[in-house]
Amino acid sequence: MFKTKLIATMLASAFCAAGASAAWTPDKPVEFIVTSGAGGGTDIFTRTIQSIIVKNKLMDAPIVVVNKGGGAGSEGYVYGSAEQNNPYRVTFGTNNEYLLPLVAKMGYASEGFTPVAAMALDEFLIWVNSNSPHKDAKSFIEAAKKGDGLRMGGSQSKDTDQTLVSIISEATGAKFTYIPFKSGGEAAIQLAGAHIDSNVNNPNENIGQWKANMVRPLCVFSPKRMAAGPKVTKDMSWSDIPTCKESGVPIETYQMPRTIWLPAGVSPEVVTFYSNVMAKVQQTPDWKAYIEKTSQTGTFMAGDELRKYITQDTARAYSVFKREGWLAK
Amino acid sequence: MRTTSGVLLTRLTMEVATALVTGLIGATVCYGSLEFGIGWGDAGPQPGYFPFYVGLIVIIASTVNLGFGIYHHRDRVEEFLTTEQGQRILAFFGPMFLFVLVSSFLGLYVGMILYLFSVMVFQGGYRLPKALAVSLITAIANYFLFEVWFKVPLLKGPLEALIGIH
Amino acid sequence: MDNFSNLMDGFAIAFSFFHLALMAVGVLLGILVGVLPGLGAPNGVSLLLPLTFTMDPVSAIILLTSMYWGALFGGSTTSILFNIPGEPSSVATTFDGYPMAQQGHATHALTLAFMSAGFGAMFGVVVITVLSGWVTQFALKFSSPEYFAVFLLTFASFIGMGSGSAFKAIVSMMLGFAFATVGMDGISGNMRLTFGFSELVKGISFLVAVIGLFGLGELMQTMEEGLRFDGIHARIRVRDVFKAVASMPSHWMTLLRSSLIGCWMGITPGGPTAASFMSYGLAKRFSRRKEHFGKGEPAGVVAPETADHSAGTCAILPMLALGVPGSATAAVMMGGLMIWGLTPGPMLFIERPDFVWGTIASMYLGNVMAVVLVLATVPMFAAILRIPFSIIGPMIVVVCFIGAYTISGSRLDLWLALPFGILGYVFKKLGYPIAPMVLAMVLGDKAEDAFRQSMMMSKGSLAIFWNNSALVATIMSLAMLLLFWPMVSMIIRRLRGAEHGKRISA
Repeated sequence: MFKTKLIATMLASAFCAAGASAAWTPDKPVEFIVTSGAGGGTDIFTRTIQSIIVKNKLMDAPIVVVNKGGGAGSEGYVYGSAEQNNPYRVTFGTNNEYLLPLVAKMGYASEGFTPVAAMALDEFLIWVNSNSPHKDAKSFIEAAKKGDGLRMGGSQSKDTDQTLVSIISEATGAKFTYIPFKSGGEAAIQLAGAHIDSNVNNPNENIGQWKANMVRPLCVFSPKRMAAGPKVTKDMSWSDIPTCKESGVPIETYQMPRTIWLPAGVSPEVVTFYSNVMAKVQQTPDWKAYIEKTSQTGTFMAGDELRKYITQDTARAYSVFKREGWLAK
Repeated sequence: MRTTSGVLLTRLTMEVATALVTGLIGATVCYGSLEFGIGWGDAGPQPGYFPFYVGLIVIIASTVNLGFGIYHHRDRVEEFLTTEQGQRILAFFGPMFLFVLVSSFLGLYVGMILYLFSVMVFQGGYRLPKALAVSLITAIANYFLFEVWFKVPLLKGPLEALIGIH
Repeated sequence: MDNFSNLMDGFAIAFSFFHLALMAVGVLLGILVGVLPGLGAPNGVSLLLPLTFTMDPVSAIILLTSMYWGALFGGSTTSILFNIPGEPSSVATTFDGYPMAQQGHATHALTLAFMSAGFGAMFGVVVITVLSGWVTQFALKFSSPEYFAVFLLTFASFIGMGSGSAFKAIVSMMLGFAFATVGMDGISGNMRLTFGFSELVKGISFLVAVIGLFGLGELMQTMEEGLRFDGIHARIRVRDVFKAVASMPSHWMTLLRSSLIGCWMGITPGGPTAASFMSYGLAKRFSRRKEHFGKGEPAGVVAPETADHSAGTCAILPMLALGVPGSATAAVMMGGLMIWGLTPGPMLFIERPDFVWGTIASMYLGNVMAVVLVLATVPMFAAILRIPFSIIGPMIVVVCFIGAYTISGSRLDLWLALPFGILGYVFKKLGYPIAPMVLAMVLGDKAEDAFRQSMMMSKGSLAIFWNNSALVATIMSLAMLLLFWPMVSMIIRRLRGAEHGKRISA
């Protein structure tokens, strides 16, 4: 008797939960807020998802993509969290959502968002000009220890690139002069023109130059080598690049999650709706093609797993920011 | 030959006022740039260096303009705005200001309808139906152009939400 | 002649009914977004992007580039007719285009603008066709010191042109620099001059300033004088069109110089806006009719338009060949390229010659089509001008504020446009030049970034601007020469004799 009652309650609650999660669907246009300028990594990430949703009809409501990349993306985050219970503003970004407010007064708080999903992890590599004497990460690091060190270019200031450079310096004692450019693309061209000694670009930012043999990858900050894929240059594919750890740089992993957010005030059903849509996006062949083409690591994180990841990622960056004195007063 | 009776603002007043305003902006810029250091460090200028000196130059140049303005126009002959011109400017700027004010609370669509309608009726002397038609058609045309066709959302307020337009 | 046969293959791809239709649609849509201030070419292109996901890459890029050409042309139309630059790069066109229209030469101004724009674009495409390999190599030589030198050169070519008070020009330019520093500092990551307003984090948009300074400021001036656009008749008279076309050869020097400036600025990412300013500045400096500039001088329309379009066209090359976008619109297209599965970069020319040369061929066709179509839209604008001013005046106000809002969807921008309007009106009446402020807002933060990057590279030594490369030294010397040109030209005038100078002042 007691048992059946229990089952009945369980069924009822399960039914309710299912009913509730199916209850919310958007009935007016949804804004996809891109926290980068048009053409940036986050922009391509967002528009790829948009195109997959449209093509596979994963959502009935129309999608409006708006670029708000001002202030290193903070413009988008300010806008995305301005209306705390508006379920029609989905913000697309990276780990800068929780890192930006640490280094400057940004006009939004990272608690103003609730994470929906992380769709991919972008890799970081050490790149040098193809005429550089450094053939592997070890000799590169050794060279950077001498004298004034080496010129390292990257995208933005106190962002993921500069954080990684600081981690490398801390772990190895190498010295770098970090020069911030507007984008990873600019850092790629500066390296191809040999105006800087190296950069730590994502695969997608340097692939064009690598294909043309203008730059050379030394190692990737990933626990294991990247997926092979087709050959990029005559004799190398992505999987031929050693991990930094195996080439003697004692950093296990450094990756950048591509993330999706909602304002913190929306109901759990809304979050479930969008994370379900994203879960479907992530299974399409188009998405797999995007991951392969941009040489990212496909992962899907949502819910508690994602929260845990964010906490860890924040803690790691926090210690770097503290050491460098970047923390906002 | 003009007399000063119809003069609302003399050139002297405006020269002085403008120089003071630009000088004030310069001072604000200087003050704001103090936050991040205005020196020249190892890696070149600090973040506040450029804005600070830019602000300083604005202050200096504004002071010179103030002096020249007073010197050249000390006889107060030249007018900046006659009363009649002032009225015209006010008749144009006033509604425009209200348009922005209304729009920032009720959205651009409501703002533009009210603005076009009242300007046409009270200043253009048009009949009510014509003014109403023009303002409504403008709003609807803009709605289709921006929201529907180009998918660029314009500022919307509570009224649109009431009638279910997103 | 390898490039030539490639180009012929390209034409074979681009010259199909479907592609020609796409071009027409793209150009017309482009004219529309170009005409509306705030809704610029970058918006237009990103809007069409989802449509192209299912298209063949060649068709997609044809649609997008055609839209870009259309927008560039459309921007000039409103500059000339209403003094409202529809695109940032057509700001300089207002300087002489609008006065021409006021004097009743709207048709002449528009035709000149379109023809020189077409010339500039053609020049750009020819440069791309012939020099694609070399240009790519050249663009790689640019680093921060070189960029700074290019920006300095732009300022130098524009400085010292005004006839009014030097101190007023200084105030105007420095205010522009100050506005440009608002928001995030790219080098340190700090938020400068935001005073705690989160809406200021993205900075003060140059377009909002332009809408206020030019659009609203001009309307206030018109209202105050009680004028009602009486002077403007934009009726297209075929005779006027032919007269304008016939006068084109007399501008050959301006056309050539401006095309070269445009190409230069398009390849080195100075961008079309900087190109048009620089070209205007130099045209005035080298003109024998200096004192007519700003009052409706035809060469003052030819110069910025030519440079604007040749820069816009040339900016496509670094985008395809290096993956560096030379303009905001090119940046959006590059995003599109990646979504279509192409990797912009040096290998694109080898891997997908059909795409590259199809695109280049379509640039020839698209620009010809754009000139024809944009001329055809002029009667429509003429019709708009026949609407009574008591309706069209407020309409322009509405369009201005919609423009201000759509730039970044910010309420604050509506409020910023108002003071900029007052500033534009008061400055104009008191003889403060507005152009230096606009130029400083466009290039100010870029120049500062380049300067500070250079300082990081050189560890604080200014010598980097002379000894980094032969290139930077050359550009710096040119800039210095231009900066001191007024003195040089004075000496030359002295040498030529005093009576010549007397004739000018009389």
